[in-house]
Amino acid sequence: MFHIRITKRQEPLSVGGSCLVLLSALILSLLLSGLLLFFRGTPPVDGIVTLFQGAFGSRWAIEDSILKAIPIFLCSLGVAIAFRLQIWNIGAEGQFALGAIGATWVALSFPQWPKIALLPAMVLAAAVAGGGWGMIPAILRQRLKTNEIIVTLMMNYIAILFLEYLVYGVWKDPTSFGFPMTPEFSEQAIVGKIGTTSINWGLAHCLILGVLVWGFFKFTRTGFEVKACGDNVRAARYAGLPYDRLVVLVMVLSGALAGWAGFLEASATVNRLQPSIMVGYGYTAIVVAWLARLHPLSIGIASFLLAGLRVGVENMQLDLQVPAAFGGIIEGLILLTVLAGGLFTHYRLIRGKK
Amino acid sequence: MSSREPLIRLENISKSFGKVQANRNVTLEIIEGKILALLGENGAGKSTLMSILAGQMLPDAGTIYLGGKPVQFSTTEKAISAGIGMVYQHFKLVDAMSVAENVFLGQKSGFWLKKKKMARVVEQLAGQYGMKVDPGARISDLSMGERQQVEILKLLHRKSTVLIFDEPTAVLTPNEAENLFATMKIMVKKGKGIVFISHKLEEVMTVADNIAILRRGEIVDKVAASDVSSTAELAERMVGREVLLQVDKEPVEPRQIVLRLKKLSGPGLKKINLELRQGEILALVGVAGNGQKPLVEAICGLSKPPPDTVTILGMEWRKFFRKAEWDNALSYIPEDRQGLATCQGLDLLDNFLLTTRGGFTKGPWLQKELAREKASYLIKEFDIRPPDPAIFAWQLSGGNLQKMVLAREFFRKPRLIVAEQPTQGLDIAATEDVWNLLLKAREQAGILLVTGDLNEAFVLSDRIGVMYNGKIVETFDTDNKEKLDRIPQMMAGLAVA
Repeated sequence: MFHIRITKRQEPLSVGGSCLVLLSALILSLLLSGLLLFFRGTPPVDGIVTLFQGAFGSRWAIEDSILKAIPIFLCSLGVAIAFRLQIWNIGAEGQFALGAIGATWVALSFPQWPKIALLPAMVLAAAVAGGGWGMIPAILRQRLKTNEIIVTLMMNYIAILFLEYLVYGVWKDPTSFGFPMTPEFSEQAIVGKIGTTSINWGLAHCLILGVLVWGFFKFTRTGFEVKACGDNVRAARYAGLPYDRLVVLVMVLSGALAGWAGFLEASATVNRLQPSIMVGYGYTAIVVAWLARLHPLSIGIASFLLAGLRVGVENMQLDLQVPAAFGGIIEGLILLTVLAGGLFTHYRLIRGKK
Repeated sequence: MSSREPLIRLENISKSFGKVQANRNVTLEIIEGKILALLGENGAGKSTLMSILAGQMLPDAGTIYLGGKPVQFSTTEKAISAGIGMVYQHFKLVDAMSVAENVFLGQKSGFWLKKKKMARVVEQLAGQYGMKVDPGARISDLSMGERQQVEILKLLHRKSTVLIFDEPTAVLTPNEAENLFATMKIMVKKGKGIVFISHKLEEVMTVADNIAILRRGEIVDKVAASDVSSTAELAERMVGREVLLQVDKEPVEPRQIVLRLKKLSGPGLKKINLELRQGEILALVGVAGNGQKPLVEAICGLSKPPPDTVTILGMEWRKFFRKAEWDNALSYIPEDRQGLATCQGLDLLDNFLLTTRGGFTKGPWLQKELAREKASYLIKEFDIRPPDPAIFAWQLSGGNLQKMVLAREFFRKPRLIVAEQPTQGLDIAATEDVWNLLLKAREQAGILLVTGDLNEAFVLSDRIGVMYNGKIVETFDTDNKEKLDRIPQMMAGLAVA
């Protein structure tokens, strides 16, 4: 009788092998999604085609996907820094909200500043607010031994409610007919679009920050220390690495990047602060970080794909009346199949006679 | 030997990992109604042997006979259904469940839980073997001793006939240990066979019927407990004296003091005084678990000693670790190479940088190219295989990993070296390399060598300290023949200092 044995790999899986595993996982998740469509009476092939056309089928679609990829990428980059240290920051959503709030405060307080001063000030405020929001769970973890997963998750709700409090209350636009939103930002507080596209200059921010994060892990001593601590805390203690300080550092960096994303979303996309910017980019960012195995370039690719998924599902919704929640289901399926595919990178299956 | 067929007979069991032979032609019998103690230092091959018996791995050669018939335990299930049960050092219990639920866990029965019946069965079983444990209590509320009783009940309920105890008293209070021994005596009276793994000599003397001593993977002695006159005799048999390997030791003039311990006390340590000078090797010998671990951790910065008890390179402990330079200071070569000395998921270059990063820092940058050159050079120099700084630490064999750690630590030009079981698990050739490296390092450093291998201590050290029960019983020069002969007594706690 044939049976399958699982043994640990003695050599890491080749690059080609990894790509093959990833591709198979993506195809498998699409097949499963098709199966779900089939069960609800939607022709699966049409459904998937509509999804892809909606996401990447036209210039407008690609631009929209890139636009949504920008905040996901920045949040994910931040989350990935914390994950490298095995600190599970689930709070990108809240840090994103705080960033938007910080930027908005500057935009509303100093609307007349010239662009060259106002935008950097908004970035700074967003990074400080997001980073500070990320620092709280790090400090609580150290002082009170709380679990950062739970604290960051709960702080998301506080942040979102705080945002709503502001736009329903003190910052509410008196001319908005009761809609919860701040007044529109002044011209100087808005990050513009690239040429004739609908894509804003936030894309350039992503490129620069992505390279910086990559360089941080590749070339700096602190980046190396984060990597080492993340791999083995005991060895970190053995080697005298400043683990506690690094925890605070990664949470601040992580929160600052999510805050930056909040700034771009408020300034470039909606030109004001309103609750509709909270659409779960911070959670998608976690999925992206895992899919990309925390590598900045892969995070870029995965952000684009999952942003495309969001856009494509809207298309399915219009054309085929597929509910919007289907996007979440596909996202979950992709994550599950890719994580399950991780088995093949660490183990090999051997078929043999019993 | 009994005329009856033994429950289990291991015949010529051999097992090697790479070049290291963990077990060599081991032949043992586990007899109904007898407690067999398996005695040996860490790394002597006890765990490997018992893993083979418990079905966790297959031997390279040799046969296991179950009631006279040859069997192959290719899975743990097979070993369990053959009646072999193991009480591990780390309990395998579900903390959130009750005692009775844990006992019944994983056993095929009906779909419904019959709580009352389960509780009654467990209570009865416990009573039969003189154990007192509340079947309804949650595991998380129990003491270590009670948890161990649950582990034992699990095995008894599965009707295991051979019970293996892996250092069962390590986590127990003396009182709990007494109870355990009583239970073990009842079990053998009821016809079970017991294997008792330990390196606590008194316990072995009290509880065992037969004693088998493992050294470097081989059974070097099998005796009836009644034929052993004292724990010192056991210690002597356990550590052995035969010289396997000799290296030349050039005399070096001891210079300034690099480590001074003054009345160092703490968990597991009692008023330790010690001085170590540059140019000498001080070997700390003793049966494992007599304070070596907490002592090393306190010196190397892993646990905080009381103020003014530890002075390193002339600085108080706190000041030393605040100011510690990456080089010309302290190097620690830990016993746990995989878990403590290296990051298994990083490559050799990153592992090299783990403790030497201070030497390759320029502002915020890490000079990786420079480090890669140095690491490549050291890999060649120390003959680490495979010779590639981009290879991951988990891909290296134990011996090569140890050489990597040594290469890194010697590169730091330490003035104080703490080496813990530096040759454990290495083959003869690698052991010789490590010894020569340590002797060479002695010219620049004071070395505290913590070892369970007396031969290693004799070959390398200038002075020897014997540890027992958290104290250094006595320290003396390695050429003091009279004292050397009394090491077994000191290790057994019989000598008056």
